[in-house]
Amino acid sequence: MAYVNMTIDMVNASQAGMKAIGAGLAVGLTGVGTGVAEMGIGAAAVGAIAENKDFFGLGLLFTVIPETIVIFGLVIALLLLF
Amino acid sequence: MLAPKPMSRVLIVASRDQAVPIIQELYRGNLFHIEDYVDQGRAEYEGFKIGTPLEGATEASTELVKVRAIENVFAIRGEDIDAKQKLSLPQIRSQIEQDLPGIEKEVEELTGVRSKLDTKAKEYEQKIVELAPFLEIPVDLALLRGLRFFSVFAGYVSGSLTLNVPHEMQVVKGKDRSFVLAIVPEKNKTETERLLQDAQFQAVTIPEENGSAPERTAYYTEQIAGLKKEIAAINEKLARIKESHAGLLVACEEAFKAKIEQAEAPLRFATTSKVFVAEGWVPADSTTGISAALEKVTGGKVFVTELPVDPLHDAVPVEYNNPSFAKPTQMLMDIYSRPMYTEVDPTLMLAIVFPVFFGMILGDVGYGLLLLIMVLALRNVLKGDDGQQFLVVLRNASIMSIIFGLLFSECLGFELPWAPIIYSRHLNIGGGEAGAGPMIPELLILTVWIGILHITLGRTLGMINHARQDHGEHRIKTVLANLGWITVMWGILIAIWSMFTIPLMPDLTKLPVVVAGLSVGLVIAIVFIVMGVIFIARDAILELVELPTIISHVLSYARLMAVGLSSVAIAMVVNYMSIGMFIGPALKNISILGVLMIIIGVLVFLLGHALNLALGILGGGLHSIRLHYVEFFTKFYKGGGRKYNPFGMKRRFTED
Repeated sequence: MAYVNMTIDMVNASQAGMKAIGAGLAVGLTGVGTGVAEMGIGAAAVGAIAENKDFFGLGLLFTVIPETIVIFGLVIALLLLF
Repeated sequence: MLAPKPMSRVLIVASRDQAVPIIQELYRGNLFHIEDYVDQGRAEYEGFKIGTPLEGATEASTELVKVRAIENVFAIRGEDIDAKQKLSLPQIRSQIEQDLPGIEKEVEELTGVRSKLDTKAKEYEQKIVELAPFLEIPVDLALLRGLRFFSVFAGYVSGSLTLNVPHEMQVVKGKDRSFVLAIVPEKNKTETERLLQDAQFQAVTIPEENGSAPERTAYYTEQIAGLKKEIAAINEKLARIKESHAGLLVACEEAFKAKIEQAEAPLRFATTSKVFVAEGWVPADSTTGISAALEKVTGGKVFVTELPVDPLHDAVPVEYNNPSFAKPTQMLMDIYSRPMYTEVDPTLMLAIVFPVFFGMILGDVGYGLLLLIMVLALRNVLKGDDGQQFLVVLRNASIMSIIFGLLFSECLGFELPWAPIIYSRHLNIGGGEAGAGPMIPELLILTVWIGILHITLGRTLGMINHARQDHGEHRIKTVLANLGWITVMWGILIAIWSMFTIPLMPDLTKLPVVVAGLSVGLVIAIVFIVMGVIFIARDAILELVELPTIISHVLSYARLMAVGLSSVAIAMVVNYMSIGMFIGPALKNISILGVLMIIIGVLVFLLGHALNLALGILGGGLHSIRLHYVEFFTKFYKGGGRKYNPFGMKRRFTED
């Protein structure tokens, strides 16, 4: 009986661990995705702003559009953990 | 409110001898936005030419350049100076005549002397650099020059050097390379050169000095110190001039600038040999005031009339029309783009919603108070309109952040003595305290609700904008397309409600089934979605590609919770590390090591919270403004309005 209980404990613990790994992957991978997406946009936006300062608002807007990806990741992670 | 100030188009015609009083009056009024006359051969302007500047424009320009040159020397900027007293124009004029030439001359002389001294100091510094290699060789440098039977070689070699000719050599070992001074008989010169070349010799010129290198270096150092003292004295004199005359200089700049702008105004008017015509924009409520004032200064010798305005096709300049509490937020609007004349001006909504979003993200009493203190402290440092407006926006945001901190019961990541009034964001870091933990699903759905309402508002404003700007069939199509976006969104929502039970949202799963196994909710949802899709497709079929953005934009508001929660997590981790790991154990039994641990703990606490505050301000501000720019404005707002830039100046240092 004790043996069975221990097995259930182990399964539970490993489930929690898997959830934590999943949450970590969700945030980490989406973060990388956002970074890759913002890399090109950010560089181009800074170039455009250097040419014409009025572009700041629009440049910022375009640069932060991929932010949504990592927010999705964060939401999934939080839903997994709690 | 919610719309730019109404403008009227005004035409002023007068004979050319009335130009000066009219221009002065318009400049004083600071209301008339001049529409520049361009020689395009418009029929009603046949025979008109661009005007010529008034007298005195050139002189004033020259003077302005001089005043600005002095200001540059002192690094004076008008916006950094508090206007103590306003000087009247006659006062300035007399001071310009009396004091300005004297100041100009003195400053010019002083800066001239200073730059000479600077050059000399640089020269001496260069000499010290040249002497540096010879410092370790105790020989009079004069002896190394003008030798008839010997050649002198000075320079760097890498590695060791052996000369198999008669020579005398001094070597100063360096880290990578050694400095060599070698004297060889003249007849061995060629051979020595070859040997040196093999050792990768880099020649150094022997300084034209009399005396040994250390002596000369000491002499030059002393000289430089003397020069530095003289330069400091001059700087002090300049600082005194700056102190006593800064007010006058900025007043002069303002006076000359005003004079030039007035003198050059006719360049923007249409003129003939007898009359001139000025066209421009005036806020609708000041039209009568302006025409009365012009009648008065010219004694009735002016014709002022209002022209019809076509708001859609005329490029009407845009001036915000907001209640005073929303005015600072105009800065955030200008960063994006000024609204067009026919558009709804969302400044007021931004002024209310932006601080709320910021507060939801950074809801923490401690951080809010710190930010508030920072803003109040910066008020005297940041001058200029933009800076002040920015600070007011931040101040409002920090107050909201304190309010939300009280609601979330958070202070620097600690719990306040009451339970969270709205949903809890407390995490259980370190595993110490037991509690409900963060109420993630509730917070998530709350933010989704905010998103749904915000986007519905945006689309509704889009309907209003299109109804105002478009015509005929196109108008109906665009308005319906915006309605279509709303119905699709709500249709999807109703469909979700009919299929799943979600906390904080209506539960439609229990509704009776009507047709083909579909409940009432689902049928309504399908009708909504299909209707919306048809409306959107009728306007532009390609827009259907954008349908998934309905979901992504609504979910994007989840950042209100997610970003905030991450900042709570950082704060709690910092607290756990500093107090749980360093300070707490150390306080149990105090020892020398314990004191050290307490110090480390306090450092971790301060650094961690400083970092988190910086991240919180950046994250809170950027994410709240982004939700407006990307999710809200894209639904209705185009922008691109022309700035209302009236002819005149806000006088700060001068008065008429």
